[in-house]
Amino acid sequence: MGKLSRSDILEAFFWLLIAVIFFAVSFSFNQPIEIYKFGATGWPRVILFLMALVALGNFYHAYSKGSKAQEGRVGAKENDEPIEYTSTGQYFKTGMVLILPLLYALSLKPVGFYSGTPIFIALIMIAWGERRVRFILTNTILIYAILIGLFMLVLNAPLPQGNMSPFYDISAFMLKTKTQLDQMF
Amino acid sequence: MIENFLAGTATLFGDPFTIGIFVFGVLGGMLFGAIPGVSMLTLAAILLPFTADLSPAQGVMLFAVIYCTGTYGGAITAILFNIPGAPENAPTAFDGYPMTQKGMAGKAVGAAVLCSAIGGVASALVMMSATEPLAQWAIMNIGPPEIFALVFFGLAVASSVGGRTIWKGWLSVLLGLLIATIGQDPVGGINRFNFGYSDLAAGIAFVPAILGFFAVSEIFIQAEKNVSGKYSAPKFNVDFPSFLELWAHKIAVVRSIFVGFFCGILPGIGATLAAFMGYGEAVRWSKNKSEFGTGKLEGVISSETANNAATGAAMIPLLALGLPGGALTAMMVAVFQMHDLEPGPLVFYNSPELIWIVFAAMFYANLSILFVGLIETKTILYLLKIPFQFLAPMILMLASIGAYISRGLVLDVIVMFIAGIIGFLLRRSGYSIPGIVLGLILGKIGEQNFAQGMQMVHYDLGTYFSRPICTILIVAGVLTLLKSLHSAFFQKSKVT
Repeated sequence: MGKLSRSDILEAFFWLLIAVIFFAVSFSFNQPIEIYKFGATGWPRVILFLMALVALGNFYHAYSKGSKAQEGRVGAKENDEPIEYTSTGQYFKTGMVLILPLLYALSLKPVGFYSGTPIFIALIMIAWGERRVRFILTNTILIYAILIGLFMLVLNAPLPQGNMSPFYDISAFMLKTKTQLDQMF
Repeated sequence: MIENFLAGTATLFGDPFTIGIFVFGVLGGMLFGAIPGVSMLTLAAILLPFTADLSPAQGVMLFAVIYCTGTYGGAITAILFNIPGAPENAPTAFDGYPMTQKGMAGKAVGAAVLCSAIGGVASALVMMSATEPLAQWAIMNIGPPEIFALVFFGLAVASSVGGRTIWKGWLSVLLGLLIATIGQDPVGGINRFNFGYSDLAAGIAFVPAILGFFAVSEIFIQAEKNVSGKYSAPKFNVDFPSFLELWAHKIAVVRSIFVGFFCGILPGIGATLAAFMGYGEAVRWSKNKSEFGTGKLEGVISSETANNAATGAAMIPLLALGLPGGALTAMMVAVFQMHDLEPGPLVFYNSPELIWIVFAAMFYANLSILFVGLIETKTILYLLKIPFQFLAPMILMLASIGAYISRGLVLDVIVMFIAGIIGFLLRRSGYSIPGIVLGLILGKIGEQNFAQGMQMVHYDLGTYFSRPICTILIVAGVLTLLKSLHSAFFQKSKVT
């Protein structure tokens, strides 16, 4: 096995899988273009071929020299020692930090920005390990106020309103209040 | 030229409302550039509809000023938090962030302020004196083969400076190139890799992808450190670099001005490639190559001088040929069109006052970076004192808004967080995020120009090499790749 680690094998598998999947999908748009000899698939397939080739080179490098950084590589220093997990709790906490924002993004369409944001801000602080209720409440309100003040009141930026009751009604109330404020000043 | 410049200055500072717009542009660009999670593009996207109420000169001038100051502002977050405000600030983080970790944030930010101003002012001066002849030269000598060759060279440089190994550097660039193929192909308009989602027909938008790869992945990296108890707050420091420290890098500054200007003048290339090439050349010519990436002042200087030197140059293809060099200059085209104008050679004859207000505003905006930037910097360094438990949700929220506003699609916010997760996993494994982003940005430009070039030369690759600029760039790119391939096989790893 040379100097291969499990992550080296996984990486090689990941890149080759991407190359194979995308190559297979490329047949779905393999149509000729009258004015261009290489068609719509020429460029992506060259990239996929190179990707597979370089992935094998990467695998061979890891096999023969290990996966530590090459000398003289810029920006590699910070990642030289990846963090080792010692308990399942750490996996869970990191997983929460990764998944929460994605859940927030997925909820934007039904829930909207105005209702979903304060909950997300508080949850992300908890996921970061913050447990002081007062700190979480104060900072959630502060961040929410800054965002509403800057983007809704000053810059008039359109933000997702949601399409589900009662979230849509909350957004409508916020926007109505904003219009009334505009009329007052 | 001087008469026109003075006339532009008089118009700019003769009207209080125009002065107000100028000041707003300077402060807005710096502020949005320097807030992690949003960028000058966020501000520009929000302001675009409002420019309909301004005069054409005021509208274009506002965007030109935001472009200059926002390009500098993005360096602040790159240095302080390892979150480049824009792709053109990515190479600044290579050395800027390690300097912050060593307690030298003040020196890095101070160098960025000064070099951004020098690069920008030099570029503005050349732009004012030579826009028309340079545009003529570019028309005669630069075609799709040259642009493709420069993209190839730029990607070769980018792959050789990022990632834990050369293989990972190349894989990063190739991933970016692959992501760029999602959406319609640039020749026939055929949908590629959209997996049935009609929203993906327009491709992956730059802004959410960039925010995800840079800002969100950095938050995740810091969160992981926090979870494992390895998080340490960056060290606070406001010591600026001395004159002698900066003077020692005068050659790097001059070299980066040339590199930045050359990249900026080419349509579609812009400041991002300029910054990578400026940084790459600094590494190439240095006697202490191994010090780059560990907190070397020259890295910050080279990258920041080059990207600001490209801002003035990017106005040349925009104003003289009507070809935008990046996302922000593309928005400027929209400002022109809102006022029934088309940027191009005729603008110089039909609206000379507009051109000279823009030129004068860019010159003064770059000067402002020096004075306002120094004051702003002293304040903004205090961001380092804010607890990350507060900054993290703030940055994530700002990034969400920034991603959503550019197209008004929730899909973009989802794409941003997916890019953040991918970026986090790839960074843990030693891949280069700037490499991915550069591949993403240059992929479409590269493919489009390759296709046009191939059609031009009737698919005869030999004709490519009858064009001197194209030949030089391709040979330089191939040599760069061969050199890194040699090091991949014959150089030792740090620890094996």
